[in-house]
Amino acid sequence: MLTYLQRIEWFIGLVLLQVLVLNHVHIDGYATPFFFIYFILKYNAVVSRNVLLVWAFLLGLSVDVFSNTPGVNAAAATVLAFMREPILRLVTIRDSAEDFEPSIKTMGFSPFFRYILLCTFLFCIILLVIDTFSFFNLPVLLLKILTDASITMVCILCAEAIRRKK
Amino acid sequence: MKNLLNFFLKYNYWFLFVLLEAISFTLLFRFNSYQGSAFFTSANWVTGAVYDMADNVTGYFHLRTINEELVQKNVELELQLESIRKALTEATEDSSGIERIKQEALAGYDLFKANVVNNSVTHADNYITLDKGEADGIRSEMGVVTGSGVVGIVYLTSRHYSIVIPVLNSKSSISCKIKRSDYFGFLKWDGGSSEFAFIKDMPRHSLFSLGDTIVTSGHSAVFPSGIPVGTVDNIADSYDGLSYLLRVKLFTDFARLNDVRVIAQKGQEEQLELEKQLVKTTK
Repeated sequence: MLTYLQRIEWFIGLVLLQVLVLNHVHIDGYATPFFFIYFILKYNAVVSRNVLLVWAFLLGLSVDVFSNTPGVNAAAATVLAFMREPILRLVTIRDSAEDFEPSIKTMGFSPFFRYILLCTFLFCIILLVIDTFSFFNLPVLLLKILTDASITMVCILCAEAIRRKK
Repeated sequence: MKNLLNFFLKYNYWFLFVLLEAISFTLLFRFNSYQGSAFFTSANWVTGAVYDMADNVTGYFHLRTINEELVQKNVELELQLESIRKALTEATEDSSGIERIKQEALAGYDLFKANVVNNSVTHADNYITLDKGEADGIRSEMGVVTGSGVVGIVYLTSRHYSIVIPVLNSKSSISCKIKRSDYFGFLKWDGGSSEFAFIKDMPRHSLFSLGDTIVTSGHSAVFPSGIPVGTVDNIADSYDGLSYLLRVKLFTDFARLNDVRVIAQKGQEEQLELEKQLVKTTK
């Protein structure tokens, strides 16, 4: 379990990584990883929803401030934080009172994979719908959601693999 | 009432959620419609500082490309400079440089403007007729020049016209020197091309090279020193083998002569008189 100081370090590190590197990663406008949601995904399972909501909001807002998209990431991250507990409950058959940090080790690969799949897609759908704010160009929007979510998942799985080795 | 309170307490995160979403969307819509919310954009000082630092680092990665561009630009500019320099040299040699030499040479002389009314270049002895004569102050033995160089010497004058013996006449003999080394000789013409004349008696020990500028020597009373004549075009031995024969490419294009100046040297008469006295006394 992480201390508050460590959480703040993670927070700053992920925001900087997102705004300085990952926001500039794209293939012809598609496939931008939104790796900063890793912070929300890895939060302890039994955390109070309110705490997670505030963290997520601040995280999204920080990314927004740097990317000149005030509110977009904040709204999406807040929704993700709100929906995380139901999703977690959906994919695991654990006792909800038990505290754990979501990972392959604690959940098993398949539940963890479904967990990040649902979370990432939820986040990307909300983010891109708010960002585009229209369904005018639906194929492009869907392709963007698909590619962004895929690359984000790849990033998260890579991070998991690296951290497990340590 | 208690139930309601319990309900609120149990689902308090809903309110927080709605609140946060409301803030997010407020920001979103305000940003789009209202530019004053610069605090939540990259215009505030924290984000500015972070991006500055990041730029300090990432700036180095572009240096290679920037360097290549600069080298490319440099080469282009170098080439441009070269061509401009060449053009400048040509321009100064053609007109302004000669003009300048002439202006320096003509300080202290009176100039009369005249137009060529008759001209030829094809005969063995060519003459030029000017539309100015004695009434305008033209006397015989005055020098005639044009914008680019020497033309000839006034030979005969009438009231309103005068006849000039140009370089392109077998009678013409103008004292010239090499501008660089001051060795002098007489400019002659013996038919042929109107572009070339000859200096026949350049001493063997004189220093010159191809392309040297020939100017008037100023030894005669006719032309002041330093009026451009032409450039050394070819070097050969004179017929007697004692001196050099220089072929001079004339600056003046006699085939399209129109506007000329007649040079009246102040004190010319005095000099002529003195020279006549010398001839008398030696006789």
